[in-house]
Amino acid sequence: MRKGSFFIKLVLSVFVLAALSGCGYNTMQKNEEGVKAAWGDVEATYQRRNDLIPNLVEVVKAYAKHEKETLTAVTEARAKVGAMQVPKNIIDDPKAFSQFQEAQAGMSSALSRLMVVVERYPDLKANQNFKDLQHQLEGTENRINVARTRYNKAVEVFNTSIRIFPNNLTNKFLLHLSLKEPFKAEPGAAKAPQVKF
Amino acid sequence: MKRVFLFFILLLCCVPFTAYGLDVPRLEGYVNDYAGMIHSSTKSKLEEALRGFEQSDSTQIVILTIPSLEGENIEEFGIKAAERWKIGHQGKDNGILFIVSKQERKIRIEVGRGLEGKLTDLMAGRIIDQIVKPKFKQSDFDGGFIAGISALISTMRGEFKAGQKPVQRKQRNFPPFLTFLLFLGIFILILGSLSRILGGIAGALGLPALVYLTVLPVGILIVIFLALVGLGAGFFLPSLFFAKGSRGGGYRDHGGGFFFGSGMGGHSIGGGGFSGGGGSFGGGGASGDW
Repeated sequence: MRKGSFFIKLVLSVFVLAALSGCGYNTMQKNEEGVKAAWGDVEATYQRRNDLIPNLVEVVKAYAKHEKETLTAVTEARAKVGAMQVPKNIIDDPKAFSQFQEAQAGMSSALSRLMVVVERYPDLKANQNFKDLQHQLEGTENRINVARTRYNKAVEVFNTSIRIFPNNLTNKFLLHLSLKEPFKAEPGAAKAPQVKF
Repeated sequence: MKRVFLFFILLLCCVPFTAYGLDVPRLEGYVNDYAGMIHSSTKSKLEEALRGFEQSDSTQIVILTIPSLEGENIEEFGIKAAERWKIGHQGKDNGILFIVSKQERKIRIEVGRGLEGKLTDLMAGRIIDQIVKPKFKQSDFDGGFIAGISALISTMRGEFKAGQKPVQRKQRNFPPFLTFLLFLGIFILILGSLSRILGGIAGALGLPALVYLTVLPVGILIVIFLALVGLGAGFFLPSLFFAKGSRGGGYRDHGGGFFFGSGMGGHSIGGGGFSGGGGSFGGGGASGDW
């Protein structure tokens, strides 16, 4: 008898404990907010890059008139990214997510081609405006990398937290959260355009 | 058996995992000259200037020189160092990390989020290109550091004031110490239900270990004191659970006293010396080489 009542108490206290640490409920909510915040940063940094491009194109145009093709490719890639409708729940939507990633990767590769072309124009490279833009572009690419890495980390934490026990039960019966999409490394997108003097 | 198994699973769920980068050196002060590029007289001059600047403006600028990046990208290393050291103050995010890698001849200025408005990537790039680089090219490292730091200081002056309280968000986390303490209690109960002596031993070993690992390394006297407390708890706690039903209310009060009363108060972060203040970085800044 004694043993039995002790066991009940033990089970009860385990449950109280689980409830105290939230049975993962709060953790999962917090982690999802973490993913959303990290995604916000990703979008903002990509937007920042997009805002930079018209200036860059203008400066390059002034010196490198013959590189119409490359410039057009950059402008088109930018237009494509700009025209894209990013749905609110993109981080839950693998299809929209991969579209977003693809468009941004197109932008990245168009930009890196432009940066290669620029190598042929020493006057342009010496231009102070261009140097400034280059720093801004490098900084932006770096921010994108940082934001993507942080987003992936947040996704990893979140995805783990909804899959481990006992959180998976809480999620199954209460929260119904789905796994979030991480960025996959891509040859074009993962690497910032290398600009060497 | 099953209970013990369940307990371990629960315990595993709570083990914090930390990811460490490989080779960010220790933060020793304003000037961390691991590559040996800065003269000692220059170093003390720089440290004085940076300390003065932090006292007046609260913005933290830290210099790091490393012998080699060992194949790593300076941008990646920079953000890693910034995340580890957390330069700048929490809520203001006003830290700047000035990194130089000697072998690769690379320079990077890593700018905290709070300073990105004033010290834009463009400004940081200009400081590198126009102020630091020419001096470094002539192997005048001392001059380069002094000129670069004074350019940074004059750019940042007035952005933040010392003593200004940043907006603090309230943290409502369940402190890890308490979670572990609760689990320790359960553990003692399980062992104590088998034998009181086992419970006592678990308490005597567990409590000091817990405090030592999660709160702060304490002295031997406190360890002994905690061991005694744990021993007492290990003996006492199970017997309360075994008490007949009518005394159930009593154990609750005591349980509360045990669990929360002996909590050692808040954590102490950074036991003296120089440390970052929890500033965050978003990858802003600029790089260059010489």
